[in-house]
Amino acid sequence: MERKPEWLRVRYNQEAVAEVAQLLGELRLNTVCKEANCPNLGECYRKHTATFMILGSQCTRNCRFCSVTPGHPQPPDPEEPENVAAAAKKLGLRHVVLTCPTRDDLPDGGAEQFAQTVRAIRRACPGATVETLISDMQMNTAALDAVIEARPEVLNHNVETVRALQKAVRPQADYERSLAVLRYCKEKDAALLTKTGFMVGLGETEEQIGELMDDVLAAGCDVLTIGQYLQPSPEHYPLDRYASPEDFARYKAMALDKGFRYVASAPLARSSYKAWEALEGVHDLH
Amino acid sequence: MEKQLAMPRLRPEMTSGVLCAWLKEEGDTVEAGEPLYEVETDKVVNQIEATASGVLKKQLWEEGDQVAPGDPVAILETE
Repeated sequence: MERKPEWLRVRYNQEAVAEVAQLLGELRLNTVCKEANCPNLGECYRKHTATFMILGSQCTRNCRFCSVTPGHPQPPDPEEPENVAAAAKKLGLRHVVLTCPTRDDLPDGGAEQFAQTVRAIRRACPGATVETLISDMQMNTAALDAVIEARPEVLNHNVETVRALQKAVRPQADYERSLAVLRYCKEKDAALLTKTGFMVGLGETEEQIGELMDDVLAAGCDVLTIGQYLQPSPEHYPLDRYASPEDFARYKAMALDKGFRYVASAPLARSSYKAWEALEGVHDLH
Repeated sequence: MEKQLAMPRLRPEMTSGVLCAWLKEEGDTVEAGEPLYEVETDKVVNQIEATASGVLKKQLWEEGDQVAPGDPVAILETE
């Protein structure tokens, strides 16, 4: 294994991780932190923060960058919305991020489970903000409407990589469809903060990165996250390069210059890492 | 009193991890929460924090060794 660069070092506290894992296990909840083998899990669990993965831990797609298990997921757990809300309350979360594996097997892509979970969080955690990090839901507008009508503060959907690498990296998804999801949600509710993210290190060029930024901005996207692709295993999409912290600073400047309202760009930045900072950062601009 | 510190299971399917660096030498004082050693996994290098305070009495593995989760990694002399 090639030696990791200095900036890919994370702290890991076993007791803090075990404590949060136990709470989540008791409520039969999944987190994308664990399922995607997130490098920030130790830091986030220590701060009593987690990103809930509703609708099971198995995904109906098989993107080549992602370590969530592909398979045949179970039907949605009817108790999950209340259990997520209970966990959010116990953890004292001010900003709750919900995500899911892609559920192409469900007619609504899991939209109703999202909506019910947002509403359960509203009841259990007054004052907390909610971010829904959704799949493309096959651009089913009725499904997207159900999520939007639950009024999350942030609607997040990741384009993941530049246009030229979509087929190789996420063969069952589609760049234009992801842009359409972002555009539709913004047009439906202008007050909704929309957000997307992509990885670097898959083989993209700086010019392609600039085009991606232009494309998602044109879709009305407010917030952008940029992070290093980390190959989950030798079987996953090969790593092209480690971008340096200076590279990430340059991407951030480029994105802010183009007009994004908030940009998180760092090697270990992830779609939901310190997600509340984006919300606070945007509100500071009002 | 001696206390053994064990290798954590950094992800569910982990069978072993490479202990790539010691951050404390034998004889050093260690506070609970201080990083004690590094384990490289597929994505990152994890700095494993000590779960107790004391003096590092014994490093049970050398840098570069593969260590299974649950295996003792270090012995601390605690008060």
